[in-house]
Amino acid sequence: MNLSRLDLFDDIAVRLENVSLRYDTSDDVLSGIDLTLKQGSFSFLTGASGAGKSSLLRLLYLALKPTRGEVSLFGRPTGRLPRDQLSALRRRVGVVFQEFRLLDHLSAYENVALPLRVVGRKDADYRADVEELLAWVGLGKRLHAHPSTLSGGEQQRVAIARAVVTQPDILIADEPTGNVDPEMGSRLMRLFLELNKRRGTTVIIATHDLGLVRQVEAPVYRLSNGLLVRDAEYGDTPAGRRRTDPSKVVE
Amino acid sequence: MRGRETPLLPVEDAREAALFFVVAALCFLAALAALSAKSTYGAARAWTAEVQGELTVTLQDVDRRAAEEARKLVEKTDGVRQAHLLSKEEIDELLAPNFGNRGLPDSLPLPQLIAVAADPDVPDMGPTLQRKLAEAGYDSAVDEHADWASDVRRVLAITRLIALTAVALLASTAVAVIAFATHAALLARRDIVDVLHLAGARDRFIASLFERRFWLLGLRAGAVGALLALGAAAAAIFAAKAHGGHAGLLPELSLDFTDLLVLILTPVIAGLAARIAARVTVIRALKSMM
Repeated sequence: MNLSRLDLFDDIAVRLENVSLRYDTSDDVLSGIDLTLKQGSFSFLTGASGAGKSSLLRLLYLALKPTRGEVSLFGRPTGRLPRDQLSALRRRVGVVFQEFRLLDHLSAYENVALPLRVVGRKDADYRADVEELLAWVGLGKRLHAHPSTLSGGEQQRVAIARAVVTQPDILIADEPTGNVDPEMGSRLMRLFLELNKRRGTTVIIATHDLGLVRQVEAPVYRLSNGLLVRDAEYGDTPAGRRRTDPSKVVE
Repeated sequence: MRGRETPLLPVEDAREAALFFVVAALCFLAALAALSAKSTYGAARAWTAEVQGELTVTLQDVDRRAAEEARKLVEKTDGVRQAHLLSKEEIDELLAPNFGNRGLPDSLPLPQLIAVAADPDVPDMGPTLQRKLAEAGYDSAVDEHADWASDVRRVLAITRLIALTAVALLASTAVAVIAFATHAALLARRDIVDVLHLAGARDRFIASLFERRFWLLGLRAGAVGALLALGAAAAAIFAAKAHGGHAGLLPELSLDFTDLLVLILTPVIAGLAARIAARVTVIRALKSMM
């Protein structure tokens, strides 16, 4: 790739070009997906169960290679990147997994600190930040609790804190408010909007929760039968619908 | 104040306890086989050194004075360093394992024996002495120890080869078991590997977690195996000594510095094998991920 092309993609966080995905001998789970997300954008991804949302997210957080097509992050095609550079790219992506994927032998604090620990940062350097973040998600008194002793909602908040602790350039969240009460859901959405507004984090949220989608004025992509379409239903702002413009979030 | 960081891999579980036992047992057997190989090697060397250039001249129907003349004749032969005519007491001692310690009756006709130490590089020493004694009118038989000792050496060499093969087989089995166990551990810890991988951990960081775990496991299991082997070897030596021990046929059993070196190296080799197996297995598994 030459420099002029890099310049061209300078403000693009995610680009999928004609991406298809197939597991083993099954039919295509995703087919011919084209998607471009600018840095600092905020998007929703919806679709019925089994539509391929999680598969698309796995491509985005570099857990899978597409069967066809190219996934580029920050203007860098990932297909042939050396493994160390893929690791470096992954560090710029925070992920909230639908199933949380917390490590049960680590405390809530240690789970949140994990992305910092794997890059060699010292506990003393990040302790205050991690504790503050956990306090912010309402778990300030449960720092040393292990995931098995936390409720589903608490685990989800730990997973979210872990995803944002590195202040990633891209935040990918798979059903991030599925296990929390509406108040905490709104609070977490405010966190995502904050990151989006203040840090320019590109946020991609996969959700079934149309109430959540309606809260934010942002493009909605819908997966159906392996195809990705921009959902016209939420493309406009219907009168009377309370929506938040990510650019107008206030602290 | 926070305490030590929790290891990213959970503390060992029952699977690793079983692996510890298997590796310790394999290290015990490997160390024992290595000690056996080294012992037979030592025995072969001792035998070779002991019998190289040694001969026994047996004189029939001669009195002590004639035997002494024959000894002088032998000693004057080129290549002979020393010739010693065995006394009645020495012959008694030599035959004690067969006839007991009460000595042989005087009526029992015994040959005169001359123990000869010759230069091992001089060829055909046996026939030369036999010819010389015959020319001087002696009815003699010359026994070159090297002839029959070579059979023993051959047997010892085969035993040593078997022991070395056993060491190699046991060591490679240990490595295979460790590699298999590492792979199983990796599959069992796939969730952790996935999370670390997606958090941006480099392959060598993840591999280092498993390397460290299996290095310590191999080291500890190897140490236990080596200690058990040391105990077994010490028990064998003690038992040999308690039962009269050194009968003169084989070199005395003992543990020397080389044996201790084998025992010290056993856990290090086990640890290294475990570490390398872990690294290769983990890196290979990670490469199957994006």
